[in-house]
Amino acid sequence: MPTVVLMDVSLSMTRPVSLDGSEEFQRKNLAVHGLNMLFEHMASNYRLEFTALMAFSSLWELLVPFTRDYNALQEALSSLEDYDKTCIEAALNGVNNVVQQEWGSGCPCQVVLVTDGSLGIGKGSLRHSLQTLKHRGEDKKFPLPFPFPTKLYILCIANSEELQMTDAMDNLEHLLCLSGGDGQIFTMEGPLCMKSVQTMFGRLIDHAYSPFHAVLHCGNLSSDVQVFPRPEPMVVDEEVEPMPRAVSTDLEIVGFIEIADISSPPVISRHLVLPIAVNKDVDEVGAAATDELEDEPSATQMAGKSPNFCVLLHGSLKVEGMVALVQLGPEWYGMLYSQADSKKKSNLMMSLFEPGSEPLPWLGKITYLGPVSEAAENPYGEDDSKSPFPVQPPAKRSYAQNVTVWIKASGLQADVQKILRNARKLPDKTQTFYKELNRMRKAALAFGFLELLKGVADLLERECTLLPDSAHPDAAFQLSHAAQQLKLASTGDSQYADFDHNIAPMHTDFSS
Amino acid sequence: MKMFSVAHKTVFVVDHCPYMAESSRQQVECDVLTKSRAQGVIPLAPVSKSLWTCAVECSMEYCRILYDVYPKDKLVFISRVEMKTFALKQVNYIVSDSEFHILNSWRRGDQSTHELMSALAAVGPPNPREDPECCSILHGLVAAVESLCKITELQHEKRTALMDTAERVANRGRIICLTNAKSDTHVRMLEDCIQETILDQNKLAAGSDRLMGIQQCELVLVHIYPQGEDTLVSDRPKKEISPLLTSEVHSVRAGRHLASKLNILVQQHFDLASTTITNIPMKEEQHANTSANYDVELLHHRDAHLEFFKSGCFFPPLPGDLHMAGTSTRENNFKETVTLKWCTPRTNNIELHYCTGAYRISPTDVNSRPSSCLTNFLLNGRSVLLEQPRKSGSKVISHMLSSHGGEIFLHVLNSNRSTLEDPPSISEGCGGRVTDYRITDFGEFMRENRLTPVAESSHDPSGKVPVERAKAQLERYTRYWPMIISQTTIFNMQAVVPLANLIVKETLTEEDVLTCQKTVYNLVDMERKNDPLPISTVGSRGKGPKRDEQYRIMWNELETLVKTHAGATDRHQRVLDCIIACRSKPPEEEERKKRGRKREDREDRAEKNGSKEMEDKSWQDSERLKGLLEKGEQDAEVIKDSPDSPEPLNKKPRLMVDEVQPPERAKGPVSLLSLWTNRITAANSRKHQEFVGRVSSVNNKFELYQHLKEENGMDVHENGKASR
Repeated sequence: MPTVVLMDVSLSMTRPVSLDGSEEFQRKNLAVHGLNMLFEHMASNYRLEFTALMAFSSLWELLVPFTRDYNALQEALSSLEDYDKTCIEAALNGVNNVVQQEWGSGCPCQVVLVTDGSLGIGKGSLRHSLQTLKHRGEDKKFPLPFPFPTKLYILCIANSEELQMTDAMDNLEHLLCLSGGDGQIFTMEGPLCMKSVQTMFGRLIDHAYSPFHAVLHCGNLSSDVQVFPRPEPMVVDEEVEPMPRAVSTDLEIVGFIEIADISSPPVISRHLVLPIAVNKDVDEVGAAATDELEDEPSATQMAGKSPNFCVLLHGSLKVEGMVALVQLGPEWYGMLYSQADSKKKSNLMMSLFEPGSEPLPWLGKITYLGPVSEAAENPYGEDDSKSPFPVQPPAKRSYAQNVTVWIKASGLQADVQKILRNARKLPDKTQTFYKELNRMRKAALAFGFLELLKGVADLLERECTLLPDSAHPDAAFQLSHAAQQLKLASTGDSQYADFDHNIAPMHTDFSS
Repeated sequence: MKMFSVAHKTVFVVDHCPYMAESSRQQVECDVLTKSRAQGVIPLAPVSKSLWTCAVECSMEYCRILYDVYPKDKLVFISRVEMKTFALKQVNYIVSDSEFHILNSWRRGDQSTHELMSALAAVGPPNPREDPECCSILHGLVAAVESLCKITELQHEKRTALMDTAERVANRGRIICLTNAKSDTHVRMLEDCIQETILDQNKLAAGSDRLMGIQQCELVLVHIYPQGEDTLVSDRPKKEISPLLTSEVHSVRAGRHLASKLNILVQQHFDLASTTITNIPMKEEQHANTSANYDVELLHHRDAHLEFFKSGCFFPPLPGDLHMAGTSTRENNFKETVTLKWCTPRTNNIELHYCTGAYRISPTDVNSRPSSCLTNFLLNGRSVLLEQPRKSGSKVISHMLSSHGGEIFLHVLNSNRSTLEDPPSISEGCGGRVTDYRITDFGEFMRENRLTPVAESSHDPSGKVPVERAKAQLERYTRYWPMIISQTTIFNMQAVVPLANLIVKETLTEEDVLTCQKTVYNLVDMERKNDPLPISTVGSRGKGPKRDEQYRIMWNELETLVKTHAGATDRHQRVLDCIIACRSKPPEEEERKKRGRKREDREDRAEKNGSKEMEDKSWQDSERLKGLLEKGEQDAEVIKDSPDSPEPLNKKPRLMVDEVQPPERAKGPVSLLSLWTNRITAANSRKHQEFVGRVSSVNNKFELYQHLKEENGMDVHENGKASR
């Protein structure tokens, strides 16, 4: 889930912070300090995240496009300049453009807005934007909600008392609500100083950027893993099940399925499953940063040499062309598979299915998937030539069952012509003739289209008179029999117009 | 879409009054004469459908699309809708003019076009000779409201499942009324009547368990009139009659106008969108060697085009919005559809596409030749990639058509940049440097642990659902499963395979036990003949462990494997007994020496693992350590071995295994290392008091935490095993 950091560089950010120490800080310095801390954390614990840095005042500028190079981001922070007034609406439009250009409109994004709570004045201020929300044309719509799913984090270099003195807090809350309500507003606690800004960014990190650690189990085999990006909790139906479901930290493999059988299933998200060293159980943000430089090379080397279940699993999934079905929680499943990059690199990947007991119709209910060994005979065949999948639905769809639709005249004409074509080839085509005749009869009865039955009966009688001398004598018998039966059905008399009744070929001495 | 939106229940009320027997005045020529036969034959007069026939076939088409796209109460992805169609119709009898006919129920089994066709045939067309004064669509509408109060299977299941929050299950529904109304006032009268009936029914429902009050009802009134006549009823966009009831009126000519109106309605009501597949190459019947390109239109859930709608590449007005805005003058020949191009390089089914959604489709024109060609092609198991038509630039493949179990799905493929690009390769991470993983063996393991659908009716005596049994099997199969080749001997030996395959089974037959025993005897035989073993000597220098040491390692490992299963049944235990009886035991001293070395490794694991696992872990550790310590020459390539391999010379074969158990040392010179370690161990043991456990151990074993057992009863051991 890419992140856009949106940094307020308006003049109000240069307001000095009263401190008892000798050094004088601006709010901007506090913000930069906090963001540096965030970037450092991401560099060491969340380094696969793509992050972009934008600065805004009345205009906006993309300082660093989406990157994993956290040094570049920190460098850009150190050379921020000061501009005029805050204009959040313009900046949000900028975010919209930047994100859609890079990731399209389906990719969920996190937006970290860092501001001081003075939200501009007059036209272009957030207050003005929100007030005019309802009186806008199609072309000047407020950018929120974004077309892509958004988590909006608003970090205020101000404490909540300050924000509540004006309507700033209300406006920010309104803004969060407009973006879809997913996100949070962070304010500073206590005096504005380095320490409290650290606490605030620490809360953001815990909330949104802590790595997701889990244990992948396959019976007694297991491996500690990091799942990246973090799997997000999921609300299935806000009315019936309003509580979001979260992915469990124990990922349990339940069995294996061939790629051809699972056949490109729809997934709600994809995640890398990265094995991690076992003894690294505490990820202290501050401590890790200093120690890591010396310790890490040897630690990773050691970890690289001891066998890990993920690597084994990945290798075999890749060679066999299979996926592992993995349980993520109650009635929630996903799959593990080997994903190859364009180059030689490949990786263990996990995709999450829609929560529920039957995410893929062609697998049936997941709880009713059992081990092959229990089946009386191997459903895959002795030589792997068969497969128990896909599971067939109880009823066929319309396109698979030769339904009758006469909405267009051509449909009706084609059906009638098909009967006539077969009628001319009697008695060779007796079976097909009656099959088509009965199909037409059933539809005509259901639609109450009795006139058609009479019409077709007339047509058959005419065909009878047109039979050439060389025709088989049976043909005439069958045609007049069929015509007579249709006439009877066209009276609507329940005795002859029963839907489930089929006109059977007439038994003649010729047909044997 | 919510699970229980108005789309959950749809009631069709089709007017069966005598007036509906009128002709629609749209004529169909069904006698198409071929040129050769045209002479002297009078063509049949064209037939025309009645208003009733038009209404019925269009409503059936509505249901057909619906059942294709939402066959169950749940569709793949996003929304779940249970579609229940009532064809309610009103039959007029002179004796009782209040009669109506309910054609099906909310039961899932009743929800199919075939059921409806059969019921409709039983009703038959309206009788034009009945007295029109005696019949009214009202009876049908009242029955429709009543039926909306009846609970569906899905509602029942959800209410039962939610228990105390059962009130979250809502009851909403839609009534589609196909009739010929007399005037706008008549329409208003019908609306009022429905409103009153809802209030009455809700009162009834409040006191009943079997009924649910209606929270929201949408009335869609379609006024049908013959071609060439003027309508007496005016169109009206959706308006709120009361908080419970909204109503809209459509006035349509019978025939194709009605058909396209219902087609638009079904799209609006069920969030459908249309896609036209263009450039489908299809063989011409007449000219088999040429192929013309055809287009086929499909309907499916709107979300398949979410990306288009959002990104603004394609902006059709939502059918619903359009209507609500009151601009219902939409022309029928104007159709909003997303065009996607057939893409020739076909995809194979062993490729796993990144697919963000899959939606069932229904062809708009189901039995046209292009449609059936496309659907048959797909039903035969082939998939087609679809690309967005672009004037220039690279091609973007955005969708895929594919069938699964006789159902065709439109898959949405991700065509954006991935946020997971350029990840670190797995070989760079933990365990990435290890090169001798048992990849092939694990592949075999995966094939044995493949899943298969189990009939819901089949009952297992253990009471576990199949997926739990699958997990239990995985647990059994992995009790002892070394991940790398150099960690194992037995799994590199063909001779052990029969036993290794059988021992993991939940239950063994007598025959299985016999096979296992044979395997063991076979191993004994090999040992007697002094066959080489595929012992790993990774990283070792010199000759590697002596052959008798190799066998000791092998037996230890085999014992470890079987021990993890010995508790399952008596037969499993018998296999273990057989091994213990047959193997040549190393002297006590040797064993103790080994234990001394591995103590540290064992201790941190002892807490986590049950006593049995502890043993195999420590076994692995000790072997690995050994491997590192006793450096030997690399000759680990011997994977295959068999009793047929040539017997080594100058080794005296033993006669009977059981009786001869010479002390280990007698069989060869002692290595310098073991001499040294023995000495150190002896010296060390003098410096400290021996552990209580070791002093009072039986067969070198001592049960830890015995006092826990006394405190908690017998469960302790079990728990220790279970908690991993």
